[in-house]
Amino acid sequence: MMRLSGRARSALIIGLQGIRSRKTRTLLSMVSLFLGVLAVVVVQAGASIAERALLADMELFEGLDGTVVMDIGGTSPQLGPVVTTTVAGRSDAVAMTGMQAIIGEPGVRPVNEGGVPLDGSWGDPGPPMTCDETGCRELPAAEIQPKGQAIEVRLTALTGDVRKYRPYRPQSGEWLDFSTMPSLAPRLVLNKAAAVGFEQYQVPAEMRVTGASANMTPHFIGVVDDGDQQPRAYVRLDELSHWVPAARLIDPNMSEVRVLMTAGTPVEQVLSAKLRALGVEPMVRTVNSREDQEEQLALMRLVFLAMAGLVLLIGVAGILNVGLATVGERVEEFALRRAVGTPRTLLAGIVLAETLITGLLTAALAIGVSVLGMKALVTLAGGSQPFLQGMEFPWDAGVAGVIAGLIAGVLGGFVPAIRAAGIPIATVMRA
Amino acid sequence: MTALIQLTGITKVLKGQEQPRTILDGVSLDVHPGESLAIVGRSGSGKSTLLSVLGLFDRPDQGTYLLSGTDISRLPERRAAKLRSSHFGFVFQRFFLLKHLTAAQNVAMALVNGQGWLPRRQRRARVMQALDEVGIAHLAKNRPARMSGGEQQRVAIARALVREPRILLADEPTGALDTETGTLVIDALQSVTARGCALILVTHDRDHAARMGRLLHLDAGVLTEQLVTS
Repeated sequence: MMRLSGRARSALIIGLQGIRSRKTRTLLSMVSLFLGVLAVVVVQAGASIAERALLADMELFEGLDGTVVMDIGGTSPQLGPVVTTTVAGRSDAVAMTGMQAIIGEPGVRPVNEGGVPLDGSWGDPGPPMTCDETGCRELPAAEIQPKGQAIEVRLTALTGDVRKYRPYRPQSGEWLDFSTMPSLAPRLVLNKAAAVGFEQYQVPAEMRVTGASANMTPHFIGVVDDGDQQPRAYVRLDELSHWVPAARLIDPNMSEVRVLMTAGTPVEQVLSAKLRALGVEPMVRTVNSREDQEEQLALMRLVFLAMAGLVLLIGVAGILNVGLATVGERVEEFALRRAVGTPRTLLAGIVLAETLITGLLTAALAIGVSVLGMKALVTLAGGSQPFLQGMEFPWDAGVAGVIAGLIAGVLGGFVPAIRAAGIPIATVMRA
Repeated sequence: MTALIQLTGITKVLKGQEQPRTILDGVSLDVHPGESLAIVGRSGSGKSTLLSVLGLFDRPDQGTYLLSGTDISRLPERRAAKLRSSHFGFVFQRFFLLKHLTAAQNVAMALVNGQGWLPRRQRRARVMQALDEVGIAHLAKNRPARMSGGEQQRVAIARALVREPRILLADEPTGALDTETGTLVIDALQSVTARGCALILVTHDRDHAARMGRLLHLDAGVLTEQLVTS
C-alpha cells in the first residue's frame, strides 16, 4: 500500500480539520464548484450519448464496426445462385438481395410508385418508367395501369439473421426466425416507413415480385426500425425462393446484392473468386463508422468541453473567492503554525489539500447526481429513444468529473495557498 | 560551559520609513541551559523584536547569533522552521488557540507540523504528558471557548512544551490574565528550567520578572543587565 509522507499526512489532517471547522464555507465553495463539475460530467456524458446516438443510426445503415461488407453489381443470371449457395446456412455471413415488390390489389399502380416514402418527402416521382437490359424509358400511356390500392416496397431477401451486423430495433411483432422450416406464404417484417403505409392504406394482401412465378400472399409478422425512409420489407430468401427462381433473385433494374460478413471469414475469399469467374468484381470494405466520424465527434466533444470549461471556470472563481476569504481569516493560524515550525510549503499544502478535498467531494456529488439523472432519463425516455435503451452511465464522464474537481481544486487553491505560505510569523508577535 | 544562545552585536533596523529606526542596537547576550531570564522595558523598546530574532522569526541586520555554537544568523527559512520546531517553544500574550480544535488538538498542532511524523498513539501520549505537566490533562477534550484565560494559557504552554524545546520564549504571557492566574502561569513556565530548558520571558510585570534568575532591561534597543534584588 502506498504510504503518504509525514508532510502529506500532516496536510491532510490539518486540511480535514479546516474543512470540518468551516462547514458552511466549504458548502458554499461546493455549490459554485458543483455546477461546474456537473457541467463537465453532463457534457462528457452528453457527448458519449450523442456519439452513441450518431453511431447507432449509422449502424442501422452501415452495420456494426468491424463488419465486412461486400457489394456486388452486375445482372448475370448466375449471380443470385452463386451468392446464395455460397452463403446459405453460414453463421459468419448473410446475403441481402433487394428487389421491387408491390403489395396490394392486382393490376393497379402503387400509390407510391418507385417505392418512394408515403409522406411525400421525396417529391413527385415523375412519369411511370420501365427498364430492361437495354435501359430505362417512359412507359407508353396505353400500358400505364390505373393507380389503385397497392404499396411498393423494396423487398430485401435474407439468407440469415442480419441483426448481428445491423442491429435493427424491434418496434412490434417479431423478427424473422431462420431456425424453422421455410413457410410457403412468405413472412415479412416491415420497416417503419412501410408500416406507416399499411396503416394508411388497408390494401388487400397480395404481393407482386418481378420475375416471380405467381403472386404471393404475404404474412406480416413484425415491424422494425431500420433507419430507412423508403418503405422496405424483409423476407427469408428461402421462403421467397419458393416463388422466385434463383436466377431472378437479382433485380436487373436495380441491382442490390450485399453480403455482410464477420471479419476473417473464408466466405470473402471464396465468394470473391467465384464472382471474378463470372466477370464480376466485388467491392469489399470494412465498416469503421467510429473512425470515419472521428473528426466530427472530436469537434462535437471540443465544443461541448469548451462550454463545460467555461462553467467550470465560474466554479474555480467561486472556490478561489472563498479560499482567499478563508486565508484572510486564518492569518493568525497560519502565522502560529509557522511559529511552531511548519514550513511554508506545508502551509501551501494545507490550503491545497482543503481545496482538493472540496473539489473531490464535489466531483463525487456531481457524479452521483449524474448517475441518478442518467438512470431517470433511461427509465423515462428509454421507450421513445431507442439508443437510450440499456445505456449505462459512461464512466469516462465520471473520470472527467474527478479530473475537473482536481483541476478546480488546484486552480482555486493555488493563489490562496501562495498567500498562506507568505504570511509573516511576526503577525502573532504584533497581535 | 558553552552558551546555548550567544548573541553578539545584534542590530535590527526598521526600514521602509522616511528615516530608518534602530530597534536593536548592538545587543549581546549569553543564555545557558536551565537559565531563566526576564527582559523588561517600555513599549516600543524592542523587546518583541529581540524575541523575534531569538525565535528565528526574523533575521538580524548585523551581528552574530550562535545556537549551541553554530552560527544561525543567516539561516534559510526552511532550516529556520526546522530549528523552531526542534529547539524552541513559544508562548504569546494572546494564547492563539484554534477555537475549532480541542485542547489536545491544539497541543498536537506543534507535533503535526511536517517536521517528522509521530504515529497517532505516540502523539496522543506526548500531548497528554504535556497537558499533565501544566495540570490540565482533564481538559484535553475541551474547546478553548469552554476554558478560562488561565487554562487557555496553560494549553498554549503545553503546546510550547510538547516537543521538549531547549529554549522557551514567552512574550508577555500573563498580560491578559489576573495576578493570581498570572502567578500560576509563571510557575508553570518556570518549572521547565528544572529539566534544562532555558526560559526567556518578556514582561511588563516587575514581580514576575523578579522571579527569573536574570533581569535584563531593554531601552531604545540597548540591552543592559540588572541585578535581581529579591
